[in-house]
Formats: sequence, structure tokens, C-alpha cells
Amino acid sequence: MDDPQTMLVVLRHAPHDSSWLREGLDVALVAAALGQDVTLLFLGDGVEALRSGQQAGPLGQKGSHTTLDMLAMYDIEDIRVDAASLAARGLTVAELDWPVTPVTSDVLPGLFATSASVFNF
Amino acid sequence: MILHLLNRSPASSGVAHEMLRTMGADDRLLLIEAGVYGAVEPQAALFSALEGRCFALLEDLASRGLTGCCASWVTPLDMQGFVTLTEETQRTVSWF
Amino acid sequence: MRYGLVVMGGPYSHQASHSALRFAHALVDRGHRLETVFFYHDGVYNASRLAAPPQDEPHLGDAWLRLAESQGTALLVCVAAALRRGMTDEREARRHGKPAYNVEPPFELTGLGQLVEASLTHDRLVTFSP
Repeated sequence: MDDPQTMLVVLRHAPHDSSWLREGLDVALVAAALGQDVTLLFLGDGVEALRSGQQAGPLGQKGSHTTLDMLAMYDIEDIRVDAASLAARGLTVAELDWPVTPVTSDVLPGLFATSASVFNF
Repeated sequence: MILHLLNRSPASSGVAHEMLRTMGADDRLLLIEAGVYGAVEPQAALFSALEGRCFALLEDLASRGLTGCCASWVTPLDMQGFVTLTEETQRTVSWF
Repeated sequence: MRYGLVVMGGPYSHQASHSALRFAHALVDRGHRLETVFFYHDGVYNASRLAAPPQDEPHLGDAWLRLAESQGTALLVCVAAALRRGMTDEREARRHGKPAYNVEPPFELTGLGQLVEASLTHDRLVTFSP
């Protein structure tokens, strides 16, 4: 593998509705396991992944909380959350279960521009 | 410089607004698939500030009956032009 | 330049596969090299050798095969996304005790590490989503 580069994985879909969130997180975990420097950005409905009190679905669908719990183990510590997306959904950083960094609109273009690769889910 | 690909129209989804908030001052936008509905007014108004760096895929316009309907600030582009845009930008980000 | 494509839309359900094929041919026409197509999410269905579209519709599976033959493009299918959706090659079918399989070379079941690798080694990676 080449030298570590920053890979930005953008998560824009809520848990349970579709597999986008899970499959996006899988890319992040694999990249981190291969030594890449991964930044996660929760944007739009993706911020719903961080809401506390989620459960498995009635058929035993796992949701994504167990995967989110594994992020630290994979050294994925740079977790950004779009502040406007949180506010639009009545959420605050304080009530989220994971240590996240809120980002404002003005820093989003820079975050995209400085990442060596971007995966948008 | 990033090429953003968008395949949803502004009227159908919030993703166009999310994308715009991530776009840098030099970034390009190419509307493809159902995204080309956003090349036509009034929806195209959302992209009016991107004049000179907002494009729409010609074959997707044509298949949807939108040939010649683009707003003045949206440039129609063929598939070769799409490839050229990916040559000129460092990477692409797809919004859906 | 060395290009990779990521296809995440299911064939005949969304335009993503058609767009990706059109883009693939155009980049080859412009003298670039298409090294990899990575199929993820519902894009894995592109790898089914059992697809039987009506005669008057484009055969997407055959189009991918022709691309692999003429360009030497690797057709990589995420194994985790594929197995969940009932897409399997002979080896995985045997391993999971399944009576049939629907993925054959040049389509190749592989891990997400190949996608990460492609993002590092290719000059351009373009994603086509549903």
C-alpha cells in the first residue's frame, strides 16, 4: 500500500432505510485497516446515524450502531458532523453518543478539496 | 479542483443543496441522468451562480426531450466532454 | 490516464450502469486506459451471467464482458455485497452449500480492499450511483 493519504467518506443516508450507511462505513473500516487516514463526514440524513437510543429492526436488522462502536478500534477518530444538518433535524452535538466535531458550511469545501479521495454514500 | 456529478434534480431531492455547500470556488458541476432536469429554468436558478462551470450531459438532455432547453448559464456537453472534465479536474464526487 | 469506475446502480433498475458503460467507451476513445470497474451496492447485479434482457434492449452483462476482452479491464465485484444479494461464483457457492452460481470470469468476487487500492493507484475514479 502507498503512503497514508486522507480519505474522506461522506455518509448521507439514515440507518435502517437502506444499506448505504452500512456499506459506506464498510469502505471506511477497510480503508483504515489498510492504513489509510480516514475522515468521516455525516451530512444530511446521515446525521441520523448518530442519534442515541436506536435498536435493531423487528427482523433483527442490525442497524449501524455496532459498526460505529468499532470506529475507534480502527483508529478512525476524525468524525465530522455537518452542524446545519444536525440543526435541521433538531439534534445537538451534546446528545450524540459519539465524540464528533461539528463543522460549519464554510469549512466543507476545504474538507473536500484537501482529501486525496472522496467516497460519497 | 473537483468535478461534482449530480443525478438528481433540485425539485426532487435535497442533495443538490448539500452538494452546493461543499463546492469550492473553482469546482465544476456536471448534471447527468435525472440531474439534467435541473439544467432547465426555473430549477436551473439554483445553479445560476455557477456560470462557466456548470454543465449538463447532452445525451441525457436529448433522451428527456430537453435539447435546447438549458438555461443560458448551463453548458451542454457530450460524453467526450464529460471525459475531458474528468481530465481537467483532480477527482470526481458523485451525488445521488 | 489510468481510470477506474465504481458502479453502484443495479442494471435495468437505474441508469447508472448505462452511464458507466457510455463513459467507459468515451474514455477509451480518448486514449485513456480503463483498468478497473468495481461493482458495489446493487451494482453487483451487473455480474449475473443469467441476465436475459429482451432482444431489443442493450445487454449490459455482455457489454461489460466485451470491455474486459478488448481493454483488459478488471471487473471486480464486492464479495460481501454480492453474497448478501444472492450473487456468487462457483467457489463461494460450494463454500456456502448453494446449488448454483451466477458469477463467472472475467467478473471476480473480491474485497473492498481492491476498491481502496484502486482509489490510491488510479489517476481517476468515477462513481456511477443509482
